[in-house]
Amino acid sequence: MEERVWIKDEGIEAGAAKLTPEKIEKTINAVFDNETGARLKAYVETCIHCGLCSDACHFFLSHDRDPRFSPVGKVKQTIWPMLKNKGKVSVEFMKQAVQVAQTECNLCRRCVQYCPFGIDIAYMMSLVRRICHKQEITPLYIQDTAHSHAATMNQMWVKDDEWIDALQWQEDEMRDEFPNARIPLEKEGAEIMYSVIGPEPKFRTQLIYQAAAIMNETGMDWTMPATPGWDNSDMAMYTGDSEMMGRLKRMHFDTAARLKVKKIVMGECGHAFRSVYDTGNRVLGWRMPPIPVIHALEFYWDLLNEGKLKVAKTFDEPVTFHDPCNVVRGRGLHEKAREVVRAFCPNFIEMIPNREHNYCCSAGGGVINCGPPFKNARVEGNRVKAEQLKATGVKVCIAPCHNCHGGLEDIIHTFELGIELKFLGEIIYEHMEKPNAV
Amino acid sequence: MQDIYLLVSGPLAWAAWAIFLFGSIYKIWKTLDTAKKKEQVLFSYVSLKYGLRSIINWSIPFNTVNMRLNPALTAISFFFHIAFFVLLLFVSAHQVMLGEGFGISWFTIPDTLANILAFGVLGACIFFAARRLTVPEVKYVTDWTDFALLILVVAPFVTGILAYYQIGNYMLMIILHMLFAEAVLVAIPFTRLSHMLLAPLTRAYIGSEFGMVRNVKDW
Amino acid sequence: MRDILYRYAIFCAIILCMSFGSVAFAEDTGVFDVNAFGTLERPVSQFDHDAHMEYPEIDEDCSVCHHVYEDGKLVEGESSEDQACSDCHTIKAQGSQPGLRTAYHDQCKGCHIDMKKGPVACGECHVR
Repeated sequence: MEERVWIKDEGIEAGAAKLTPEKIEKTINAVFDNETGARLKAYVETCIHCGLCSDACHFFLSHDRDPRFSPVGKVKQTIWPMLKNKGKVSVEFMKQAVQVAQTECNLCRRCVQYCPFGIDIAYMMSLVRRICHKQEITPLYIQDTAHSHAATMNQMWVKDDEWIDALQWQEDEMRDEFPNARIPLEKEGAEIMYSVIGPEPKFRTQLIYQAAAIMNETGMDWTMPATPGWDNSDMAMYTGDSEMMGRLKRMHFDTAARLKVKKIVMGECGHAFRSVYDTGNRVLGWRMPPIPVIHALEFYWDLLNEGKLKVAKTFDEPVTFHDPCNVVRGRGLHEKAREVVRAFCPNFIEMIPNREHNYCCSAGGGVINCGPPFKNARVEGNRVKAEQLKATGVKVCIAPCHNCHGGLEDIIHTFELGIELKFLGEIIYEHMEKPNAV
Repeated sequence: MQDIYLLVSGPLAWAAWAIFLFGSIYKIWKTLDTAKKKEQVLFSYVSLKYGLRSIINWSIPFNTVNMRLNPALTAISFFFHIAFFVLLLFVSAHQVMLGEGFGISWFTIPDTLANILAFGVLGACIFFAARRLTVPEVKYVTDWTDFALLILVVAPFVTGILAYYQIGNYMLMIILHMLFAEAVLVAIPFTRLSHMLLAPLTRAYIGSEFGMVRNVKDW
Repeated sequence: MRDILYRYAIFCAIILCMSFGSVAFAEDTGVFDVNAFGTLERPVSQFDHDAHMEYPEIDEDCSVCHHVYEDGKLVEGESSEDQACSDCHTIKAQGSQPGLRTAYHDQCKGCHIDMKKGPVACGECHVR
């Protein structure tokens, strides 16, 4: 095997410069001793090194089956030596471990479905990230995002008044099309609190517009908060900053509770859904989310089935659908999503593999958030996705997740696939019946 | 030789089975107890229905996507595990010993079939070894302990076949056969062979998470 | 634990060796007459009848092996060398009377263990 080229990241380098063998040992053992138990032990002791998880990983497949990119190969490069040496590993080792765990695994959990024993390798990669977080060697860009969460309670350094401003701006825009449309802020007792991720007010405001249009035209009783807590995203979850994850989710749930809503509906984001529905609630001691959390895909399906959402005209171009890990492998929304897609897009073509076996976008799990230093590695590490997309022969792909959008966009560009990406809400907005539109 | 034979087939067999049995109980208890002490939350995500659903689906040959992706390995692995237990439980010579020791016996398989299975197990182990040596992603995560375990597991079958055909020193072979089998029993709770004990737990847990929380299949 | 198994084996052996006997024997071939089994799984056991009769523990007393049982009780002084083992010991056990294979195994192996002499492992008798 040829020597690997490790990527230089300012955050990793700066953090590593301050690392000492004692600190490394202390942090590793602190995490292993205090934050793990039977599960990690069982995973490590049960794994018979069969390598069967490999075929699940897009990084492995895209690197011509380079074993260093197989899921178990990543465990070998991170967890095994840490356990075996009882935390006595070098600074150089940690620099490589953080790159493996933080930028070469999307925590998509496809490998979990391939392991005969159901070993959760994503869990082990999360542990490595947790250790790296404690050693302060998290890559620069995602750490900046985590800092933003800590300082502003949103992902994108959006100021409190900017948030309200963005919503009111979109409401204003909507009035041209729907003269009576509202984006109700702080409406106590509304049925739905609609929450989005930081990037939506920052640079994808049209998504807020479209969601608001759907809410208005289907007659929903909804609201959005005017205070921090509006952002459901969570990069702290992906840097191993569990404490920050807890603060974020608590503020999100608290906001929904303050508004006395019956449920939280989320925009088309995968990782945020994972955080609110699966991970964040656990950190706060809730077995399941204290307030029902409905992802956009499920929400659209509900609206369609309740007859509130009606198709005005269909989108007849051939489309394919990318199943995001966090709402499909994380919530099983693949069939509901397909029903909605088929209702609007009669010419629907499956990519193969699909549903819970779809290949990852390679952007999720915080990988795209590690920024430019790792962009090429991330895109090259997902050649199989490009091949999978290309094989469908379609020119439009629906990807109902922000990270997937970002990742697929880079892949489409690099591999010159000429495919247009769409959110499902975008298609719905454009093709639904709009009784109140002028 | 008679003394050694009687020692290995008597007290040592008792000891091996006892270590295996109590070791296994300890291993499972320890795992659950540690979980209870340090990760009690895990128990609230375990569901009997989805745990069993996952175990059953992963017990059916070629039922999972990955099994179909690796048909040869799937067939050989299933054969290996089934043959292992069939030979242990249903070979007539084992039954004779059970009958003499405890006065109990059950269904036996003809020696011809036992032979085929034993050679099959040998072949399967050679396949596993070859896989470890040639398939890059397996080779990369293989170390000497993997081969040691493989040799340990195949040893009772090699010596069993040699003893059956009375090739070489018969008494030596039959004694080694029993010693290796006892070594495998003792190793199960304390090595990665413990996947026999823990895999149902890890499988049930992840099956529950996937089924109950995530509403999705894990195969 | 060793003792329990041993005592059991020795107990069986003593009972069998002291009195049983019903090994139909073809002296000319040096192997047992095992027609009752039908198709055999293993080679027929090697057995030297003359040598056994001369062992001091047996001393030409046929009834040591060729025993007679009535109502589950050993009949002292009677012997059954004119019968085949399979005349009484059917393939399957009947009550306390062991099946044919078990009878052979207990008879030979039990005594060998008791005497600390003679073959005990499968292939030592069932020689290929």
